[in-house]
Amino acid sequence: MSGVIEIDGLRKTFHSVRRGRRVAVDGFDLRVEAGQVHGFLGPNGSGKTTTLRALLGLVRADEGRMSVLGADAPDHLARVAGRVGAIVESPQFFGNFTGYRTLRLLALAGGVPVARVDEVLEEVGLGDRGHERVKGYSLGMKQRLAVASALLKRPELLILDEPANGLDPAGIREMRDLMRGLAANGVTVLLSSHILAEIQLICDHVTIISRGRRVAAGPVEQVLAGFDRAECLVRADDLARAEELLLAAGLTVTGHGDHLVVGGVPDPVTVSRTLGEQGIWVRELTPLRPDLESVFLELTGTTPHPGVPRQPDGSAPHPGPAVIDLDDVRGVDA
Amino acid sequence: MNLIRAEVERLVARRFVQLMVVLLAFAFAVTAATTLAGSHQPSATELAQAQQKAVAERREMELQHSRCLAREQGAPPPVEDYGYLPDDCSELDPALRDRLPVTADYLAGVFTFTRQAEPLLYFLVAFLVLFGFLVGASYIGADLNSGGVVNLLLWRPRRLTVLGTKLGTLLGLTLVLSVLSSLAYLGTFWVIAQVTGYPGPTNAAFWAGLGAIWGRGLVLVLLAAALGFAIAAMGRHTSAALGAAAAYLVVWELGGRIVLDILQAARPDQLMLSTYVGAWLAGEMKLWDASVCANLTHGYCDGSYSLGWPAALAVLLLFTGGLTAAAFAVFRRRDLV
Repeated sequence: MSGVIEIDGLRKTFHSVRRGRRVAVDGFDLRVEAGQVHGFLGPNGSGKTTTLRALLGLVRADEGRMSVLGADAPDHLARVAGRVGAIVESPQFFGNFTGYRTLRLLALAGGVPVARVDEVLEEVGLGDRGHERVKGYSLGMKQRLAVASALLKRPELLILDEPANGLDPAGIREMRDLMRGLAANGVTVLLSSHILAEIQLICDHVTIISRGRRVAAGPVEQVLAGFDRAECLVRADDLARAEELLLAAGLTVTGHGDHLVVGGVPDPVTVSRTLGEQGIWVRELTPLRPDLESVFLELTGTTPHPGVPRQPDGSAPHPGPAVIDLDDVRGVDA
Repeated sequence: MNLIRAEVERLVARRFVQLMVVLLAFAFAVTAATTLAGSHQPSATELAQAQQKAVAERREMELQHSRCLAREQGAPPPVEDYGYLPDDCSELDPALRDRLPVTADYLAGVFTFTRQAEPLLYFLVAFLVLFGFLVGASYIGADLNSGGVVNLLLWRPRRLTVLGTKLGTLLGLTLVLSVLSSLAYLGTFWVIAQVTGYPGPTNAAFWAGLGAIWGRGLVLVLLAAALGFAIAAMGRHTSAALGAAAAYLVVWELGGRIVLDILQAARPDQLMLSTYVGAWLAGEMKLWDASVCANLTHGYCDGSYSLGWPAALAVLLLFTGGLTAAAFAVFRRRDLV
């Protein structure tokens, strides 16, 4: 089955007189299948927006092959543009136009019935504010308007770059429900976001980009499983004795003051049994499962370290465990 | 077609465009009101007196010319002093004058259409040229700057079609506005002349002359609109066009002219766009090349030369067309980040 979005070996370098040469995307690959809600993650400056802009024909790629809904991008993008809704980075609109007029002009240009404008304004919660000027909108309202513009043509594929930017918690939840509703109706969604918890809640697949390269891709559970070290947090009456017993049982143990982190524990029962048999009572036993944030920080090398300044692409120049072998990580790829 | 409709609506809805139209209407109203207030319909006596004065003046010119010719043929000098007679009698030939005295010249406080229509039309063309340049620059500049073009390209990912439609819409609407406003403008002053002024002798030659200025003025307005659009599209901002225009006027038209004058360069006017604008609008421009006579210590030297409208049009088209083509080429390949 051909992917709804396919990107192979995308490269893009920006040249600037003032800032010199900057490699934004360096041989990046992405594949999104029909019906997926696909998260696209990466630190600031990692190449996410450049990738999306190249895919949508706004930036010229230096190398690589891209296709959207089976049409080569950007050359044949016009063939499928009516089926693709997109917003890229922080959306900007003409301040003196109302939200309604902004969408009406897009609907006219795209041959979409103007009656659809009121529907999408309602869908994104701008029904009452649609006839106000955009310059009076908050960032969150502009974001909703951008999403409305992407939904206007009832797209089969929705590409959203940071759609939750500027939204309050209620707005984020509404956006999440909207995405879920769209996915349930068969819309394929490519969602770039910094809010990793959101991605974990909404997306079934994920691709992580760092320094212009793909560092992980696949179903969310599978990506997370690749980083599951089978660890448990243990609090017990006698920590020193507990540590000795667990080490003797062949487990890896790290002391953290009032608790231990025990590694190599496929089943937490092993810990409670080992300690219980020796009369040490466990007060807390919590399996430590990796979440998307920890995986993201590890893969992209952006784990913050006190006193170490972050690089423009969000990564920290730390020689410790945050630096990983990208080729090894590619093994996580589904 | 849908894209054109959307662009027409977008352009008409722009507040800057609306403001410029209001300014045009305001300038129009003020000019018409002051004309109306300062003019009266001439009485039969005033008309008769003015006609007599015009006839007398023309007759006097013919007499002077005849006296000059008589002197050339060796006739004895007259007893009475008829004033200065030049060596070259063609200077006094009424047939070689740009215009002869007419009745309207002697009607005080009367708006005469045939006499005022031309300067009024030049004023309107100047306003419309400014309108075209500013609206052209702001239309694409604001759209590029506000992300409107990016939004549109997400819907219609054909860059040249989108930019071409925008330019076409701009030129079309500017032409419609220019035609309508100039017809309303001249029509209003024609009515004012009929009601509280003097229409003057309108013949086919008058209307043809006025029509030629009008047509050339409309072309100039369209060129100005395309120029503003092209520069702003290349600079991605309205201010790019305004800055380029201001820089050109100050650095080249003013500074460059002074430098060329110091260097005694030949025909410096030919290097100035304003010369071609003037020549195109007027149909022909007579210019003076000081360098031709620079080394002449005595005797007659004619350094004059003229520039006709075909050459002026060619230069203006080449300049505007070149910049517009460059804007399309740049936009086609540009990264929209």
